[in-house]
Amino acid sequence: MSHEIVIPRLGWSMEEGTFVGWLKKDGDLVRRGDAVFELEGEKASQDIEAVDEGILRIPPTGPKPGSLLKVGAVVGYLVAAGEETLWTVPSPMTNSPPALESALPPAAAPSVRRQAREAGIAINDVAGTGPGGRVMAADVHRTRTSPQQQEPVTALPIANPRPTHGRSAVASPRARRVAAELGLNWSTLTGTGANGRIRERDVRAAAASGHSSTSAARAGQRLPLTSRRRVIAQRMVASRQQTVPVTLTTKADATNLVNLREQFKRREPLKSVGGSTPIPSYQDIITKLVAEVLKRHPRLASRWDEDAIVLPADDELHLGLAVDTEEGLLVPVIRNVGGLSLSELAGQSRRLADQARAGKLVATEMQGGVFTITNLGAFGIDAFTPVINLPEAAILGLGAIRREPVVLDDGQIAARHQLTLSLTFDHRIVDGAPAARFLQDVVNAIANPSAWLLG
Amino acid sequence: MTNDQFLSLFRTMLIIRHTEEELARCHQRGLIFGACHTYVGQEAISTGVCAHLTNDDPIFSTHRGHGHALAKGMPPRELMAELFGRATGCSRGRGGSMHLFSPEIGMMGTSGIVGPCILQACGGGYSSKLMKTGRVAAAFFGDGAVNNGAFHEGLNMAAIWKLPVLFICENNQFATEVPFSYSSGSPHVGRRAANYGLPGFEVDGNDVLAVTEVAREAVARARSGGGATLIECKTYRTRAHAEGMGDFTYRTREQVDEWKLRCPIASLRQRLLTEFGIAEAQLQQVESEITALVAESRQFAESSPLPDAATAAVNVYATRKTGIPARPASNADGQNRPSSGDPSRVITFTQATHEALSEEMAVNPTIFVMGEGIGIRGGNFKTTAGLYDLYGPERLCDTPISERGFVGLAGGAAMTGTRPVIDFMFADFILDSVGEIVNQIAKMQYMSSGRLKMPVLLRGCIGIGHSAATHHSGSYYAMYAQVPGLRVVVPSNAYDAKGLLKHALRCDDPVMFLEHREILTTKCHVPTEDYEIEFGRAAIVRVGRDVTVVALARMVHLTLSVCEELERDGISVELVDPRTVSPLDTDTILQSVAKTGRLLIVDEPPAPCGFAAEIAAQVTDAGFDDLDAPIRRLTGVFTPTPYSPPLEAAVVPTAAMIADAIRSLVKE
Ligand SMILES: Cc1ncc(C[n+]2csc(CCOP(=O)(O)OP(=O)(O)O)c2C)c(N)n1
Ligand SMILES: [Mg+2]
Repeated sequence: MSHEIVIPRLGWSMEEGTFVGWLKKDGDLVRRGDAVFELEGEKASQDIEAVDEGILRIPPTGPKPGSLLKVGAVVGYLVAAGEETLWTVPSPMTNSPPALESALPPAAAPSVRRQAREAGIAINDVAGTGPGGRVMAADVHRTRTSPQQQEPVTALPIANPRPTHGRSAVASPRARRVAAELGLNWSTLTGTGANGRIRERDVRAAAASGHSSTSAARAGQRLPLTSRRRVIAQRMVASRQQTVPVTLTTKADATNLVNLREQFKRREPLKSVGGSTPIPSYQDIITKLVAEVLKRHPRLASRWDEDAIVLPADDELHLGLAVDTEEGLLVPVIRNVGGLSLSELAGQSRRLADQARAGKLVATEMQGGVFTITNLGAFGIDAFTPVINLPEAAILGLGAIRREPVVLDDGQIAARHQLTLSLTFDHRIVDGAPAARFLQDVVNAIANPSAWLLG
Repeated sequence: MTNDQFLSLFRTMLIIRHTEEELARCHQRGLIFGACHTYVGQEAISTGVCAHLTNDDPIFSTHRGHGHALAKGMPPRELMAELFGRATGCSRGRGGSMHLFSPEIGMMGTSGIVGPCILQACGGGYSSKLMKTGRVAAAFFGDGAVNNGAFHEGLNMAAIWKLPVLFICENNQFATEVPFSYSSGSPHVGRRAANYGLPGFEVDGNDVLAVTEVAREAVARARSGGGATLIECKTYRTRAHAEGMGDFTYRTREQVDEWKLRCPIASLRQRLLTEFGIAEAQLQQVESEITALVAESRQFAESSPLPDAATAAVNVYATRKTGIPARPASNADGQNRPSSGDPSRVITFTQATHEALSEEMAVNPTIFVMGEGIGIRGGNFKTTAGLYDLYGPERLCDTPISERGFVGLAGGAAMTGTRPVIDFMFADFILDSVGEIVNQIAKMQYMSSGRLKMPVLLRGCIGIGHSAATHHSGSYYAMYAQVPGLRVVVPSNAYDAKGLLKHALRCDDPVMFLEHREILTTKCHVPTEDYEIEFGRAAIVRVGRDVTVVALARMVHLTLSVCEELERDGISVELVDPRTVSPLDTDTILQSVAKTGRLLIVDEPPAPCGFAAEIAAQVTDAGFDDLDAPIRRLTGVFTPTPYSPPLEAAVVPTAAMIADAIRSLVKE
């Protein structure tokens, strides 16, 4: 009984994904719950776990890293031991009873491994004739003397020779360190050490010869679209087409916000189970304040649903945070912001942003948002026109915090911290006045954060 | 004796009894931890002996030591606080019942090991004799100790050197549950003394006046140069071996009750009333005073703070030097050695250590050397040649073949202010004394919270070569380096040997100084001026670029011999000689590996849990990202050392093997 391995749907809008690579090899025993391959879905890549059990069979036509595959496409099979797969060509030896099959890589004594190594042969490519398919010294010898004449005495039920796995690159710890220091990707280098180990000298030689690590775009290059780029493009277009976006901008006095954060910074670092609690960023504090304001203006966090507008409950204020990553924009979601303490929120936002940058977000961590906050302040931007993250109703853009001269109520001019806010809302759902009232409250909350943080 | 003296005996015994009973109560309630051996029933012995000792007279005791500490003058509050594990305890909470220290009052320590106190008392006696202080040392031990080698070696040494020592055997008839009648061919201990040429006495240990009498004579004899005395005090402990242990599998309740009737305190009380005319009221007053004292002591103990966990590893080693005036700064890096007037002065390893020893002996009268044939003969390896003529038999003391005995003695001597140098000839013989080194000498500074110093220098030859065969070829330094409290020095050349030996003779820690026999005649420049090499400072013997080799002693020479050839082949070797295995200069090794990215450790002894393994582990821990290749070890074969030349050669790394190992490491 064989089970198909298919491309799963990772998010509500996912149609296709980019196959990143296998995490198991052909012939490996796969158990339920084992990660079998990596798939780049909507916005992040994810390890796909097996739902069945069996020995992995990858067809010769199996997916190559980088292939774009439709959801539901079959990429491989899990078969019972001894079972043939559809594409198996019977081998001349299939009449004889197959030896007891092991799902493990071939067994071989260390001395045999050494001989294979010395002969430059990958032990996995040697057909073993010993008990249980164990690779014996004679097998290595035969392979060395007549690789072409090698009889397919393999106990495995497939006749096509196993793919020669290129040795996974090995680098000495020092080589890795130096590569990191030089910003070089060692995995693409050729090692000159024993067994092809990449050593410091290989890294330095590569650096000297101008080897570049980053896939940084070069002028005149044609960059193939990644599936993430495609998804971003589709969703941006969909947002423009389906919503009626209007953007309001205003300034908030952030002096108290800055003071508050200074107080947080001065507090002794707190130790929590997972390490010390991070100091909340401006964005964290504003996120918390926005959640409080949204409780009074739930319509800004609502969703257009064919024949109704769906308002969130107080504990459904899941806020998205736009994160800029090397591969493009990602929006991880912090659940129930109203129910989190500021330090919990800070911890979560940091974790999610790190994961986003490392490409480790799982799909569910990017779903269920009702409102998004996006921040271009770090780039010195003040006002901009953020694009609504469907199916949400609005998005708040944060600009840079700057010290500016401000005319106070008493006519005096003082240097105050000012922050520009840009709110884009879907006019289908909200009208201008309620949106402006919401923004006014946000301005108020930023001006008096302590009062609003009381909840 | 005056009435005051009688009352003082009564008082001391009563303090012991009440304190012990209170401790037994606390033990039952789970307030004190660990083992608790009480002295109930034996109070007359320590009381009677210590009545003749001053705070300067050192005593050494055993697991059943509460009574010795109290009789020597330790306030009960310090004892109780110790058992309560408090910072105010006599051992600052480090010892508990079996490790009581109060050197300030001559309570040099109790030991959880049966036997060593006998040898340490000999050391106390040796210090007294060497420094002519007139002090008398005493050892208290049970009947269980007299069938231990320490008893034999100790009594013999005390006899031949006429040491001012009292050996007090408290024969309570059982060693745990083993009756003395079973474990000894003779039921009497006192008369064994005659066989050692010592006076011996057998006395009723429950009669404090009788004990006091014999002890008085023995102390007087010792103080006047008459040597040691063995006193067997026949007694009985009327509580279980240790609190909480069953008592009636090996003796009956009736027997115990019978001995309780012979209570030393009750009988003294009776005699004070009837024979010496001391009033009942006076005795009652003493009794109520002591009841109050013990109650107050317990209160003190219970309300004292627990020790700060941050101090758990303090005082493993001495922190400051004593005794010797400040010296010029040492040249510890081995690179910029001081230049003497005569740069061509080249001497052997043995000459260098000899110079260090004789120079230090000249300025420090507390140094004495012990060993077999180190006196007139000048040492098997000429380590003490000529010194006997200069310093005489007490400072160059030939010993009987009693390795455990004289090492134990050295421990006691160091505890009492002198600086023993034990010359073993061959380090293999050290193994006979390992218990004294590991359990006593190495732990003493720590257990006494740094109040005792342990400047014991243990030296001997190590190494394979010249068909010395397996009992004259061992090294064992990795084993010693596992012991907290010991310093382990393994020099590779004359210059280092002199500087390191000087440091060893000036520091306050016990040092294992191991000299490779096959390099004793190697020569190098050694200046005449004074210098010292601190421990834990590696020497970079050769600067290189491609591979770091760490080696000690002879392996340094072998490695050096292949470096030129490798250099011609484009392989530049950096050779690091740590010089001391404990402390180990991992910083220098790490710095070298950070430069070269490759590490080979060459070591003569077998590999398991060894010097090379330790360095490999440390570099993997702290220098992982500097490694450009796996760490390699080249060590001796895991076998005893054979005799026949081809067999012997087959178990030690050779120069060719070192060169091969380096070549293959560079290819990794
Ligand atoms: C060298 C050694 N072996 C064994 C022990 C375990 N042990 C502790 S006390 C004891 C009995 C000692 O008897 P004895 O010397 O007569 O002293 P007592 O307990 O009777 O006072 C033994 C065997 C030990 N502490 N040290
Ligand atoms: Mg006994």
